[in-house]
Amino acid sequence: MLRSTNIPRPQSLEDLLSPALIAQISRLDYTSRKIFAGKLKGERRSKKRGESVEFADHRPYVVGDDLRHIDWNIFGRLDRLFLKLFLEEEDLALHIVLDCSASGDCGQPNKFLFMQQLAMALGYIGLVNLNRVTVTAMGGEIARPDGATPPADGGPDPSSPHLPATPSQLTAIRDLRGRRRTHDLARFLCSLRPAGVVPFTDACRRTALTRRGKGVMVVLSDFFIKEGYETGLRLLLGRGYDLFLIQCLSPQEVDPTGPNGLAGDLRLKDVEDADVAEVTISAPLLKRYKANLAAYCDQLRDFAARREISLLTVRTDTPLDVLILDYLRKRGLLR
Amino acid sequence: MNWLTPTVAIVAASIAVPSLIILYFLKLRRRDLEISTTLLWKKSIQDMQANAPFQKLRKNILLLLQLLALAAALVAVGTPQMKGESPVGTRHVIMIDRSASMSARDETSGKGEPITRLEAAKEKALALVDSLREPGVLDRNSGDQAMLIVFDNTAKAVQTFTSDKDVLRRAIRAVTPSDAPSLVDEAFRLARAQAPRKIITDKRPDGTEGFIEGPAGPVGTIHLYSDGRLPDAEKAEASREDVVLFHAVGRKDAANIGITSLRAQRSLENANRLSVFVGMQSTFPAAKKVDVEIQVDGQVAAIKSVDLTPATAPAPGNSEAGRPSPGLGGAVFTFDRPQGGIVSVHMAPVEGDVLTSDNSAWIVVPPAKSLGVAVVTTGNMLLTAAMEGLPGGRPPVLFTPDQFESARATGRLAEFDVIVLHNYLPKMTGAGDAGLPPGRYLVLGAVPGGPNGLIDKGEGPVAQFVSWSREHPALAGVSLDAPTIVKSRLVEMPRGSTARAIAYDTNGPSIFELVAPDSKAIVVPFDFMETDWWLHLSFVVFLAQAVQYLGDDGAGLGQMVQPGGVLTDRLTQGATDVKVRLPDGTQADMGLPAPDGTVVFGPVQRVGVYQVSWNGTPGPRDAKVGDRAVRPFAANLLDAAESDLAAAETLSLATARVEAESGEKSRVMKQLWPWLLLAAFVIVLLEWFVYNRKVQV
Repeated sequence: MLRSTNIPRPQSLEDLLSPALIAQISRLDYTSRKIFAGKLKGERRSKKRGESVEFADHRPYVVGDDLRHIDWNIFGRLDRLFLKLFLEEEDLALHIVLDCSASGDCGQPNKFLFMQQLAMALGYIGLVNLNRVTVTAMGGEIARPDGATPPADGGPDPSSPHLPATPSQLTAIRDLRGRRRTHDLARFLCSLRPAGVVPFTDACRRTALTRRGKGVMVVLSDFFIKEGYETGLRLLLGRGYDLFLIQCLSPQEVDPTGPNGLAGDLRLKDVEDADVAEVTISAPLLKRYKANLAAYCDQLRDFAARREISLLTVRTDTPLDVLILDYLRKRGLLR
Repeated sequence: MNWLTPTVAIVAASIAVPSLIILYFLKLRRRDLEISTTLLWKKSIQDMQANAPFQKLRKNILLLLQLLALAAALVAVGTPQMKGESPVGTRHVIMIDRSASMSARDETSGKGEPITRLEAAKEKALALVDSLREPGVLDRNSGDQAMLIVFDNTAKAVQTFTSDKDVLRRAIRAVTPSDAPSLVDEAFRLARAQAPRKIITDKRPDGTEGFIEGPAGPVGTIHLYSDGRLPDAEKAEASREDVVLFHAVGRKDAANIGITSLRAQRSLENANRLSVFVGMQSTFPAAKKVDVEIQVDGQVAAIKSVDLTPATAPAPGNSEAGRPSPGLGGAVFTFDRPQGGIVSVHMAPVEGDVLTSDNSAWIVVPPAKSLGVAVVTTGNMLLTAAMEGLPGGRPPVLFTPDQFESARATGRLAEFDVIVLHNYLPKMTGAGDAGLPPGRYLVLGAVPGGPNGLIDKGEGPVAQFVSWSREHPALAGVSLDAPTIVKSRLVEMPRGSTARAIAYDTNGPSIFELVAPDSKAIVVPFDFMETDWWLHLSFVVFLAQAVQYLGDDGAGLGQMVQPGGVLTDRLTQGATDVKVRLPDGTQADMGLPAPDGTVVFGPVQRVGVYQVSWNGTPGPRDAKVGDRAVRPFAANLLDAAESDLAAAETLSLATARVEAESGEKSRVMKQLWPWLLLAAFVIVLLEWFVYNRKVQV
């Protein structure tokens, strides 16, 4: 809950994913309740008929069809030309959206670090399965190791640190494919710094408009969004994504009285908008807070459930392997 | 509910309450914390405020508790006290009667034991003190003030106005009974003297301002604790504004038998024969028979049974009296006692008799003795014969003036107690004070001059006696109605003279007593031969009594002092280390006697025998114990009014008629501030508890 101090910023892939975890998650792949049209050939069955080895159907030959696909056995038997149709295998578009608002930079363990690690793990899974991986950071800042002034409107160049993060702006690394892009992804994630407030709806609208193909979208956030998350999520959903929300809460947010928790007379300042709430921590207030938190999460869950959005609420002290190998598989994001 | 120091409390509150609130806000400098979002917290706070109408209260419960504790402390500073009825006024004069009748044991204590009226009065007075409003914690001058006046026949302000209850209680507890009769007037005068003076600013015509002392204001509420046996109550005057509360003690039906008179007399014919007259009175409604015992120097000499008539009911309509007149009785004891001694009379205890101090009486009887009398005369047969006829046996020595002067030069005069000067004054070499050498003189037909003497204005017209002091021993029982003074003498007493007239004729004062430090004289300025007085019996009686009076040295037969009075006497010249032994056995120092040997002690408090002893030569009738001379004095109540004990329920003062207060009007004033401080403490503890609970959650 509290803004973290001395946050260990990840510097490389090793800081984000341990080799043991890499080994564990390498065999995972994404599932989607929806079958999306891919863009490139991939390892995923597509609705389209294509050129894989798996037979799908026959259809009568029409002029212009590739003669190579004529089923000559049937022509021999029936003396009619049929084309043999095979299932097309396409790639899956995996879009990871990372909430880089300042509220992420709180909690013990740090929420943003947790989201970075989770994004890295999910991105890695996507990459090794030859999915098209796009990572979008909503808000936040980009660390500039070279200190150079970034271009005013940097393109989606994943290889270089870029883009000053004005609040409404998005930073993205797009269309990564293949295991060799892992380090690009890691470098991008490591360069992110949470900062400021994110106009969620606006950011969602931009994300939806700049989307490249349908696919699975994983949104990592704490969903503590004062303007409301509903519109933004609806916008994302409207583009046909298979949405998967992972709500990351620090243990202190779940239970403010635990270790490193709150006590006494406090002036609570919102790290994003500097809004102030003066509270005197008391048992009734804490009870009320917990009830509100539960209600808030329930509301989010209801909202998601009604729109076939998967939601997983995790505490940032959940081990990453448990989360990925256990929770996410159970929730059907991975297999 | 009374507030003793409300102003102080209000001032303290106006400072302390804002201070506390400011301090509270200062203290509640909230810790700044940055958190991920205030979304849920704001909602929670709003929920709480929406759900709990007293959320504000709850939020500031610590402040509220502190305010409560402070309020309790501030109210305590205001010194509130609870009481059903508060006594009238803020200044109280407590008058306690401690006269002889207050020693009557007819009251009952809270435990049911019989106690004296004085003890009951003290209890009531203590209850009054308890009920006074306490001074505030911060302002010692707030609260009720009270003073204590104790009176018998004199009044004494034992404690001036104070609001310190402990001092008042101590003063009240220290009141001791006395056997003196009661006179309340002086007590009221004393109370009035305590009234605060009003200072009035006076604007004079010339524009300057002066201050005039105005009439005294009211002194306050006067609480009179008495049995109402106050013979001079009608003289007592309280100012109009003063409230007089009469707290009566004693029972109305209290009955008593007491000795009201005692007199000893030697027979004129036989000086050895001593007669003791005992007068008694009874306020019992029935006739009583009482055994009276007479002791001489501690040895029982006689016992007689005395019949006392019943007290008679008051005549109907005579409401002042409203009291039965007591029954009377008496006895005469006659026995031979040539030597002196202390004669004491004791009454056997009677059931229902509530006062013991009037059950005994003492009288000091000097030994039978004849006076040494010298008569200086040019040969007046009448005087010589009269003097020789005086009782006592020893014939007077006659001197001519020349013989007298030579005897005086040789110091022979010391053996004479009284010198009678007829138409002659001793020659004074210097300017003597009273024109008389040291000694005791009966001066007939001469006027001693000097500063302490008289001024002779020459012969006056024919005169007759108009009045005379019937109480003077020389004129007691003498009637001067008949004599006519043919050649009277006009005599004036100079201003500041110690002379006093004991008889007056139609021209003015005619018989004088001169008292100088070393001499004493009774002066009859006219020549008795120029009157027809000598034809009357009263002349001889006067001569005898005057000689007796002068010779008795003031301590005549059966002389006694009443409690409340002052014991005064002349000791022999050169007396030192004068002490007096009181009836209770204690000794008191009387200090050095005056140049003429006069010593004073008193006022005496209790009845009994007081023995004055000194180092030096004893007088002719003084006993000698070891090397000290001893002279006893008797102090007796002998007061019919004091022995009549029925308590009065109304008191007629000069200004008002006061009914006795009834019932226990005053209740104890409850001080609330200790409880308030305790409450403040408990609230602080509660605050501590709440704070801890809050912090630990």
